[in-house]
Amino acid sequence: MTLVSEIDYGTPASRAEKPVTLTIDGRSVTVAEGTSIMRAAMEIGTEIPKLCATDTLDAFGACRLCLVEIEGRPGTPSSCTTPVAPGMVVHTQTERLKRLRRGVMELTISDHPLDCLTCAANGNCELQTQAGKVGLRDVRYGKGKDAPIETHLDLTKDESNPYFTFDSSKCIVCSRCVRACAEVQGTFALTISGRGFDSRVSPGMGESFLGSECVSCGACVQACPTATLSEKSLIEIGQPERSVVTTCAYCGVGCTFKAEMRGEEVVRMVPWKDGAANRGHSCVKGRFAWGWANHRERITRPMIRAKITDPWREVSWKEAIDHAASEFRRIQAKAGRRSIGGITSSRCTNEETFLVQKLIRAGFGNNNVDTCARVCHSPTGYGLKVAYGTSAGTQNFDSVEKTDVVIVIGANPTDGHPVFASRLKKRLRQGAKLIVIDPRRIDLVRSAHIEAAHHLALRPGTNVAVLTALAHVIVTEGLVDEAFVRERCDWEDFQHWAGFAADPRHAPEEVEKISGVPAAEIRGAARLYATGGAGAIYYGLGVTEHSQGTTAVMAIANLAMATGNIGREGVGVNPLRGQNNVQGSCDMGSFPHEFSGYRHVSDDATRSLFEELWGVTLDAEPGLRIPNMFDAALEGSFLGMYVQGEDILQSDPNTKHVAAALAAMECVVVQDLFLNETANYAHVFLPGATFLEKDGTFTNAERRIQRVRRVTTPKAGKADWEATQDLARALGLDWAYAHPSEIMDEIARSTPSFAGVSYERLERESLQWPVNAAHPDGSPIMHVDGFVRGKGKFMLTEYVATTEKVGPRFPLLLTTGRVLSQYNVGAQTRRTANVVWHAEDVLEIHPQDAEDRGVRDGDLVRVASRAGEMSLRATITDRVAPGVVYTTFHHPATQANVVTTENSDWATNCPEYKVTAVQVSPSNGPSDWQIDYDRQAREARRVDAAE
Amino acid sequence: MSRIFVPKDVAALAVGADCVAAAIAGEAAARGLEIEIVRNGSRGAFFLEPLVEVETPFGRVGYREVTADDVTSLFDAGFVEGGAHPQCIGKTEEFPWLAKQTRLTFARCGIVDPLSLDDYAAHGGWKGLARALELGDVGTLEEVSLSGLRGRGGAGFPTGVKWKTVAMAKADRKYVICNADEGDSGTFADRMIMEGDPFSLIEGMAICGVAVGAEKGFVYSRSEYPHANAAFAEAIEIARAAGFLGQDVMGSGRRFELELRVGAGAYVCGEETALMESIEGKRGIVRAKPPLPAIAGLFGKPTVVNNLLSLATIPAILAEGAQAYADFGLGRSRGTMPIQIAGNVRFGGLYETAFGVTLGDIVNEIGGGTASGRPVRAAQCGGPLGAYFPVALFDTPYDYEAFHAAGGLVGHGGVVVFDDTVDMAEQAHFAFEFGAEESCGKCTPCRIGAVRGREVMEKVIAGHAGAADLELLADLCETMKAGSLCALGGFIPYPVVSAMTHFPDDFRRGASPRAAAE
Amino acid sequence: MDADKLVSMANQIADFFRVQGAGAEAAVADHIAKNWDPRMRAAIRAHAAAGGEGLESVAKAAIERLAG
Repeated sequence: MTLVSEIDYGTPASRAEKPVTLTIDGRSVTVAEGTSIMRAAMEIGTEIPKLCATDTLDAFGACRLCLVEIEGRPGTPSSCTTPVAPGMVVHTQTERLKRLRRGVMELTISDHPLDCLTCAANGNCELQTQAGKVGLRDVRYGKGKDAPIETHLDLTKDESNPYFTFDSSKCIVCSRCVRACAEVQGTFALTISGRGFDSRVSPGMGESFLGSECVSCGACVQACPTATLSEKSLIEIGQPERSVVTTCAYCGVGCTFKAEMRGEEVVRMVPWKDGAANRGHSCVKGRFAWGWANHRERITRPMIRAKITDPWREVSWKEAIDHAASEFRRIQAKAGRRSIGGITSSRCTNEETFLVQKLIRAGFGNNNVDTCARVCHSPTGYGLKVAYGTSAGTQNFDSVEKTDVVIVIGANPTDGHPVFASRLKKRLRQGAKLIVIDPRRIDLVRSAHIEAAHHLALRPGTNVAVLTALAHVIVTEGLVDEAFVRERCDWEDFQHWAGFAADPRHAPEEVEKISGVPAAEIRGAARLYATGGAGAIYYGLGVTEHSQGTTAVMAIANLAMATGNIGREGVGVNPLRGQNNVQGSCDMGSFPHEFSGYRHVSDDATRSLFEELWGVTLDAEPGLRIPNMFDAALEGSFLGMYVQGEDILQSDPNTKHVAAALAAMECVVVQDLFLNETANYAHVFLPGATFLEKDGTFTNAERRIQRVRRVTTPKAGKADWEATQDLARALGLDWAYAHPSEIMDEIARSTPSFAGVSYERLERESLQWPVNAAHPDGSPIMHVDGFVRGKGKFMLTEYVATTEKVGPRFPLLLTTGRVLSQYNVGAQTRRTANVVWHAEDVLEIHPQDAEDRGVRDGDLVRVASRAGEMSLRATITDRVAPGVVYTTFHHPATQANVVTTENSDWATNCPEYKVTAVQVSPSNGPSDWQIDYDRQAREARRVDAAE
Repeated sequence: MSRIFVPKDVAALAVGADCVAAAIAGEAAARGLEIEIVRNGSRGAFFLEPLVEVETPFGRVGYREVTADDVTSLFDAGFVEGGAHPQCIGKTEEFPWLAKQTRLTFARCGIVDPLSLDDYAAHGGWKGLARALELGDVGTLEEVSLSGLRGRGGAGFPTGVKWKTVAMAKADRKYVICNADEGDSGTFADRMIMEGDPFSLIEGMAICGVAVGAEKGFVYSRSEYPHANAAFAEAIEIARAAGFLGQDVMGSGRRFELELRVGAGAYVCGEETALMESIEGKRGIVRAKPPLPAIAGLFGKPTVVNNLLSLATIPAILAEGAQAYADFGLGRSRGTMPIQIAGNVRFGGLYETAFGVTLGDIVNEIGGGTASGRPVRAAQCGGPLGAYFPVALFDTPYDYEAFHAAGGLVGHGGVVVFDDTVDMAEQAHFAFEFGAEESCGKCTPCRIGAVRGREVMEKVIAGHAGAADLELLADLCETMKAGSLCALGGFIPYPVVSAMTHFPDDFRRGASPRAAAE
Repeated sequence: MDADKLVSMANQIADFFRVQGAGAEAAVADHIAKNWDPRMRAAIRAHAAAGGEGLESVAKAAIERLAG
């Protein structure tokens, strides 16, 4: 593929439908009303010179290159800011316009260094291109020795950001960066300081980029038409020669990027404008934090060892695979068919996930397969399937552009799903109202040009009470959309539910006592959601990771049904998925009770379909979930597992328990990029391939199936699916997939919601499942004409307090989450320059709680729960309420999950990460566990090189 | 009790009016005379200031250029009864410079107590608003259109058309903005109204609110006008308390609120879109048009942005009827213009007259020629970015179209007079320097062009410039005029090009006198 | 399998279904049958058979309904 260069129409597309016909340079063109002359001209291939205009930003009219003449109108208006009108006759190229453009360009260049040959943008510089287009041949200013002119050529570079430089001496003050930061990203970190000739782009009030509020999303770098803002990798390597369009491997937003390459080297990752989820935007992780793919700690050779106390021994792929296969067969011979299992990865492709579950079901002969969705969104799958009939969110991301009222509950999109957050913030700036339900004052509550109408700062663990109180207000104040409910939902269920919700025990005034949320706030929020127009609910793990996670999902589903906020644009129930392919891994049959497409293993028809397809007999009994596997391991009935791309030791709760379970197993096969924490307990290590090293597909939070394309050769010689296939063959299965597309064909053949999916189609477009005869072009919005299950089902959502309660020993509630710059267990982001923003996990604690404990900002503190203890630094902030502390789990050194407990969701066993009773006290060093663990980890990572 | 008028206008304060007022009060007390001192606005004849007036049974008698030292002799001369004195000018309204004017916009200014509602009403105040409320929006719009009033800020856009556009725009909120950011050097009309007849502006804006359906108005003034701002802020409170603003304007049930905002000294904030950015709390930079403010203005809502003079003229139009106003003027320039005469001139001040008077009459007859007594060389009309008119063009009638045809502009009504010692190359340099200082920095031609122009002019003045430099200068002027985003950059070439055209010799110098002196 | 843990899991499930109205026992039984691995079901059944200490009534009744 050659270098992909999207057409820049100069201004955004008009949303109007009315057509307008005009004449540009003698050619007739018809465009939508509201389209700029510049864009209309580009539609017929006439590129009017421009510098400050780009179609991702509103027209600005500053550079004055795009001037045109319009018959019957005076002057030379800028074509970017002038909308078309019927019958308008436009000339884009006249002697006068040529003269003017050259005059403007001459001024621009008079304050720009003429170092094109050594400039990083050489060959891909809009200023250079436009100067050529307007035919500038001479800069007359400053000629002669008595004519010194004032310039900005001596300004110094700001290299504080680890990923890009800001060279103000090359800046033409087009404000594209400033506008991108405001309009696209919504951070407003950049401004123009000074006036007139002194106008300069400035991060904040004269700060450095790193010291400013900049979130390093890269929108400014992308918007810059010169080398002023340039990726450091581009400066170092040079201009790319080809691009490969692929999908980001970080969060569930699923941004499309162009991997821009020179040879086998990635020069930069640039968000693709046609990406349906990101629409050309990106965040610091996907845009810049890809250096881990080439990190020196990558393991590229398979390794085995007899005992976890032994050093690793590098071996051939064959030896490693054969060893794993023989160990699994040995264990099964000894302890039975159900004594082994595996975990699929939400980081891997659909095809790889499908193969791992197939290996377990067809090769291991049991259903002991699970995936990391167990610990994040398994309640979403369960709850939404019960209520609506489908284990997925109802909307596409574009839907947010039509929403009027947004509830964000238990999610922190600006950190966890930054690109979606930017789209949400844009809508909020346009006037949509926001309700935040979160124990912490997350950034969305109040940030530049955004303020939540209501922030329900509830006590951790009381989601269900608050959600049911919202329902109470909607039911008792007559705010139910009865027409919708009667038509679309089970009316009897509804009445039963309405009676339940109306009970005085769910009144906001009662729930205030439990949740700490003022009743007036609950009432206000409920009224706003029910009456404010199109209402959408976006939620995250703050909803699911509770003992009542599934109940909370159902409570959310109830609210949407009761208010008629389902089945069209701008509304819906939207789980924000954590990992790039967590939706896909669930779709692919990664749960121990379900085949692909969420069909239960006990369903005879489905089972026989797969038995026929795979030529084996399949187990009709549900298998073990991840936490059950650990329990079974400690019991001695589960002795081997294949873990692809998940670091269960760091990510799962109650680390001590997980460690003991892993240590009790006889064969743990870890397939990963790095020697992760779980690998410390592994016997076989299979080197993984990054998303840049393989073909496949990811499915994002909006059910969008997108291609992942191989950009470089796998460092270890195999894509992950190839290693799984080798293991299957070693176990006696006759797999012979030559390409992931063949796996997708099998998925499509066997999974009704994927029936219409093929690589041939995915080459052209992304697809949102279901894609089948009923929905040949996919399903951007679900439940449009009716619920998948038939009638929407209201479930009663009685609040049951968690057993994790504060008391004298553990008086504070710990809740966990993540930050923008780091990602989950940090396997990738810790191996990038992103550590400059978050070098360690810290404990957020309220000033009052800190003072009570003699803790000062930056002090090392000990956090202890009934499960364990850790030491980390405290940061004192009123973002958390008194009685609540917060931390992240990005750094294995912290061992945050030593503290979390085994409590879990009633329906899915999703861990209750969000509520742990703890005590915080000053500390003078790491906890005993942290010290022991560190020693064990260093021991476990020893590698004896192959002879 | 005798009423004595001592102007409080800044032009009078600058020449000691406060001391005069104190001296009069002191002298009256010492002599046991009961007097009331009224601090009125200025009548605009700045060469008479402080112009002290006394109310007599036969009318107001004026005493010119009164200082505190003159007060004893004035009392001795019985000035409280209008007694004869060397400084007496007789009945003020018969003083020729004032008598020859046609005062519509400034009918009350200098006459009334600015903050007296009684005075305002006694001089025809609130009649326009009452009539507008009676006519309703459609009728009011029609009157404004028929009057032929055009924007007094400089562009001369028909006020009625602008109002109708806002009136027809559908929106949940609309705004009226008064542009009182009077930044042109040599202009002071806005300030005089705010200090001398603030209720007329309040009434004009309320009428606009009625006509376009706006319930909120902003007056955007400048920090350099502390006296005007204080007076106007007080006037708003008085008008609100009396029911001319607020929830129920004159008992009509209509709502109109007014707020004074003060800019921070940027000339460009007089540009309407930059002004709106500033009111919104942002940096004062220019927005591209369209959208026109009338469609999407302040906070994205339909907004009337009018110059203060336009709005202060509205009450008179409504009170007396559109035709009475339109009867004055010439061609498409109807009504009167408050011309502000300044610079090197004998009779400086504000002179309101119907359009059509020639520039020569303004400079030589009304202005009385130069203050220095030397021959007039040029007059700059329309502010620092207006064109220089040579004496040869002094037969140009004061009229939007005629000025435009002569390469100039009426602008906000400023006329600055220069004698024959002026160096027009220095004036061209000043235009670029002013532009460089005041440019908002958004568009390239203005941001960089103003600096480059200044640099080229420095070369010219130093005597190092050749024909190529003058050609570059001409090219730059064309680029800036046609290429700039707003009138600031677009008008910088006016003084430059007019100076180059009419005074070419000043630009062709071997070694300049200044360079030689160094 | 750790019986205490299985008991608390079963009780949690029963907490949810108990309020849904009629058929709670069947719903709990169905949930366990569809989501618990055979060894877990065997363990909880054994525990119930041995008196079912800690199991609340709906959970206990549901487990007794579980087919072998």
